[in-house]
Amino acid sequence: MELRVEGLAKSFGGLCVFTDVRFNLEPGGLMGVIGPNGAGKTTLINVISGRLAPSDGRVSLGGRDVTGQPAHVLSRLGVARSFQQTNIFRSVSVRENIARAIRFGRRGVQPGFERLLDEFGLAERLDEQGDKLPYGLQKMLGLLMAFATGPHVLLLDEPAAGLERAERHRVDAFVQHARETAGCSVLIIEHDMDLIRRLCPRVLVLDAGAVLADGATAEVLTRSDVIAAYLGGAEDAAA
Amino acid sequence: MSARRGGLIRRLGGAEIAAVAVFIAVFAIPFLTNSVLVYSVLNQVLVGVVATFSVWIMLRMNLLSFATPAFMAIGGYTVAIAGRYNITDAFLLTTGAFVLPALVAVPLGALVLRLRGTYFVLVTFVLSQIMQLLLFETPGLTGGSNGIAGVPPVTLLGTELASNQQVLLFAGLLALLATLITALVTRYFRQHFAAIEENEILAESLGLVVWRYKALGFVVSAGVAGLAGFSLVNMLLTAHPSSFDSITAVDFIAYAIVGGRVSILGPIVGSSLLVYATNLFGTHGQYAQGLYGVLILVVILAARGGIVGAVGSLLRRRA
Repeated sequence: MELRVEGLAKSFGGLCVFTDVRFNLEPGGLMGVIGPNGAGKTTLINVISGRLAPSDGRVSLGGRDVTGQPAHVLSRLGVARSFQQTNIFRSVSVRENIARAIRFGRRGVQPGFERLLDEFGLAERLDEQGDKLPYGLQKMLGLLMAFATGPHVLLLDEPAAGLERAERHRVDAFVQHARETAGCSVLIIEHDMDLIRRLCPRVLVLDAGAVLADGATAEVLTRSDVIAAYLGGAEDAAA
Repeated sequence: MSARRGGLIRRLGGAEIAAVAVFIAVFAIPFLTNSVLVYSVLNQVLVGVVATFSVWIMLRMNLLSFATPAFMAIGGYTVAIAGRYNITDAFLLTTGAFVLPALVAVPLGALVLRLRGTYFVLVTFVLSQIMQLLLFETPGLTGGSNGIAGVPPVTLLGTELASNQQVLLFAGLLALLATLITALVTRYFRQHFAAIEENEILAESLGLVVWRYKALGFVVSAGVAGLAGFSLVNMLLTAHPSSFDSITAVDFIAYAIVGGRVSILGPIVGSSLLVYATNLFGTHGQYAQGLYGVLILVVILAARGGIVGAVGSLLRRRA
């Protein structure tokens, strides 16, 4: 399902977080969003997913205007998100976490879901309480819960943040699975440039609340203005 | 019918069945004693338990509501005003005492459930204050500062329930009804309420229509509070604004927290202990409030999950 964002803006009082953000994520597409801290990346996901109302602009899903719809409506229309910090129901078991996601999402069990559980090492820990899992597994459980709602569009907020290098391949496997088995479009916010280069054919750069660049990843990441904005200067980047 | 009843019972867990059993046991009291003091304390406990259920339903969604006295007043005054027109039928009054507060809660819920945390607490407290103002300032309807005295006893299947034993039995019936309503709602929507209590933002992002469950809880909580108001007015045969003072919400919240918010048994244990303690400490005059406060502090400091939570933890550790 196509996600189209046109002229999106968000302000809190006099503080403009971002303005005139526009992009188009085609069905099954994959794009990254990068930018320095405070650029407005997480707020962008919060607005698209209905957590926050936009100040201006339009979000449409499969041609349907969903601007300003609340999070539960967007979730049921097929927009799922993950969170930067681990966000699970900490006091209940892994099994119950997944059961709630499936029950609230109302789309039944996703194809190949058990295989993903197995691959991430969660299948044998189904009865463990959420907060007893290692950080990396809590993070993967959060991703699986988003996927369990049966989304058409997945918005992933720094899925690899806090993961050990050896664990990061799980994010790749997850994204690949979501696209191949469920045809999800995926938007990834990430600071891990290796992951962005590996996964995303296209990247959008946000800087100080505006779109600095949007295009093919290999090309965008070599642009001097992007390097300057993201790393603080071309010289620093070269160093 | 039996299959339906079986389904109903299956929906209830061990704690809910124990709670129902407690109130069924109340019906044995009039056959065991004629003590007016016992009847009085038990009546207060039963009113306290039902009012605390109202607070507890909202606590299941992490919402601390001070609106219980306001809805109790609507339920209580509904019964008292109906008494003026010689409407005393128990079924009719019970329905009215539940439905009217619940109906009032629908538009109020639309306003206050947008708020969270301290804002929700403050606004529900203000609702109770506004209710006090309405009770005092509408003497034509509510009797104003005099209240409505001489409320006729209720009649059940044509029998007037006027004696101390009958009043206690009827309070037990109302408590049983409130327990069943509370148990069914909180068990049936257990996962939804628990998800909202623990992580509302995550629950909504997964597709849960959070406002719908909050509204449902608020409406049922108001209806249950109305039953508590009915029970109180039926015990006193008077409806007076001071019986529904907004500050009484603090007592009901204390009952829920001291008893434990993890189980439906918490409000029962908390109300029983603290109502009994209030009566016991009342004999110590000026120290009563201090002793009551110390008891609450001791229980909360020694058992963060309340008494039922602490006992549950102990049992789990032993198992």
